[in-house]
Amino acid sequence: MSLFTLQDVTVAYQKQAILQDFNLSIGEGELVSLLGPSGCGKTTTLRLIAGFLQSKQGKFLFREKDYTKVPVNKRNFGFVFQNYALFPHMTVFDNVAFGLRQRKVSKASIKDRVLRVLDIASLKGFEERFPAALSGGQKQRVAIARALVIEPDLLLFDEPLSNLDANLRVNMRVEIRRIQQELGITTVYVSHDQEECFSISDKVAIMNKGIIEQLSDPATIYRQPKTKFVADFIGFKNFIQFDSRRQETDGIAATVQGITLTVQQQDNDTGLVGAIRPDDLRLYPLDAAPMTVENAVQGKVLISTYLGRSYQYEVKTSIGQFTVNDDAAAAPLANGQEVVLEIPKKQIVLVD
Amino acid sequence: MRNYYKYLLILPGVLFLTIFMLVPIGMTIISTFFPNEAAADTSNYASLFRDSYFLEILWTTLRVSILTTIICMVIGFPTAYFIARMSAKMKALLLILTIFPLLTSPVVRSFSWMVIIGRNGLVNEALMGIGIIQEPLEILYTPTAVIIGLVHLFLPLTIITLVGVMESIESDLLTAAASLGASRFGVFTKVVLPLCVPGLVIGGILVFVGSFTAYTTPALLGGQQRVLSTLLYQNANTLNDWHMASILAAIMIVVTLIVITCMNLLANKLNPRR
Ligand SMILES: Nc1ncnc2c1ncn2[C@@H]1O[C@H](COP(=O)(O)OP(=O)(O)O)[C@@H](O)[C@H]1O
Ligand SMILES: [Mg+2]
Repeated sequence: MSLFTLQDVTVAYQKQAILQDFNLSIGEGELVSLLGPSGCGKTTTLRLIAGFLQSKQGKFLFREKDYTKVPVNKRNFGFVFQNYALFPHMTVFDNVAFGLRQRKVSKASIKDRVLRVLDIASLKGFEERFPAALSGGQKQRVAIARALVIEPDLLLFDEPLSNLDANLRVNMRVEIRRIQQELGITTVYVSHDQEECFSISDKVAIMNKGIIEQLSDPATIYRQPKTKFVADFIGFKNFIQFDSRRQETDGIAATVQGITLTVQQQDNDTGLVGAIRPDDLRLYPLDAAPMTVENAVQGKVLISTYLGRSYQYEVKTSIGQFTVNDDAAAAPLANGQEVVLEIPKKQIVLVD
Repeated sequence: MRNYYKYLLILPGVLFLTIFMLVPIGMTIISTFFPNEAAADTSNYASLFRDSYFLEILWTTLRVSILTTIICMVIGFPTAYFIARMSAKMKALLLILTIFPLLTSPVVRSFSWMVIIGRNGLVNEALMGIGIIQEPLEILYTPTAVIIGLVHLFLPLTIITLVGVMESIESDLLTAAASLGASRFGVFTKVVLPLCVPGLVIGGILVFVGSFTAYTTPALLGGQQRVLSTLLYQNANTLNDWHMASILAAIMIVVTLIVITCMNLLANKLNPRR
């Protein structure tokens, strides 16, 4: 059963619609990420769920109840802000205790719960510090503790790690996932970092211009993107716009400019765009190509770049330009060299 | 290596203030203790603080300044809160309207208040016209008139100072407080108000010191009711008693310093941000 549902929601700033007929449904206990480029409406969606802004149309259902008009302070959702938003005039203890004091929890119980959640967030001994005297990672943990202590029905994160350095980011996201799973709190997590989202989420929603293009578990998105945008966003850098496709016994025969490629069908996909990751393509010098090459296309190396572990080549062919990561580093290909490009049939995903 | 060159930057300012402010003030204060260039003498201070006429003026001045400060804060705070939350365009417009009164001189403004609150002024005519009062109210030439004039003078300053402070409060702090369960009132008292303390103190000091030392407004609207600055002027220019004028000046400086210190202490108490 889903915990909450956004139903045909429209949000606009002034005249400009940011979300249009937006739908999203999240199950109890799940951690769902909203992933997408900057400006695609992730924060807007999160703020809408939190109640910070009102939708022009549509409904927000929470546990089957209409929450559309319920004000922020009556929702009991925890929100973790990108820039932490800690109260600068309060100690760590008072920051964390703020929500409990609003709920008129008894003094003894406040102390108990605050100390317990500070312990979970590895912040023991920092109770009397002011935010100005904390590092970025510590501020982040205070912000999370402050949101957790009210035992929220829903936890909302808006790019909580984007202000931290790379090492800390990895540690913190593991922490967030651990706490979330231990307490079983349903969580919506916004980020523009693919690795971050994929590593901690039960499901990922890929957003583009106010629309969710795909909502699935990370592995499915990684292997079977549904649209060209999603494929591009998660690293399928090569696209072939096919003219037509037909079903054959050994897969789908997709044709582009007279050349027919075989695609091993993965799902009942209907798209006409073939997407391939640079890592999955293979290159052979024209005179040394084996006979068994699948979907061979002849081409010419335009640019080669050394990436450390592999070489990256830009290859021009009659059906377009391809980016290829090739780790046959022993004998790098030269610029201008004639090559055979292999597009393994298993690695082509047909997207819309 | 230590770099002393940076201190050269403040040298002109320091020199200017020393020559034109610290030295004259020091000389004035020192001179009050030497009435006849003989030995030091504090009997003038002692007799002044036994003089009921002076004490009444001191009390009136303090009362007028404190009331002006409080009224400016009470009116200015919500106004500033309102302005600070407007869109950028609206905010600019409202701020221009706010500072508009500052573009006319205190003399002009005081004369217009005479027209408004005088015996046969707008206020009395209106109140008698609708029959609320039978006799005209005596507002002009009372401390009340001075307070009205001073509030008019200092409210724009208060509002501008407070808007500046409120704008510097991150709006996410307010949303954060709300999402943790605070009502609008709770957000205001627990977050906005404490974070405005520095602004309230600066504004308070500005208004208090300004009102305490104002001359034009009390001179024009206060009538026979003197305040320290008008008493000082009378001693210096009318009675030609420069010694007494110096003593009054010294007292005003000391009171001002005491008030500033107290307000700073208060601010540190209310604002434990470190
Ligand atoms: N207060 C606002 N007024 C007008 N436009 C806004 C406002 N906030 C966001 N937008 C616009 O809405 C779009 C989505 O913003 P946002 O939800 O913050 O994106 P994201 O979090 O995915 O980067 C952007 O195009 C942004 O310019
Ligand atoms: Mg954002």
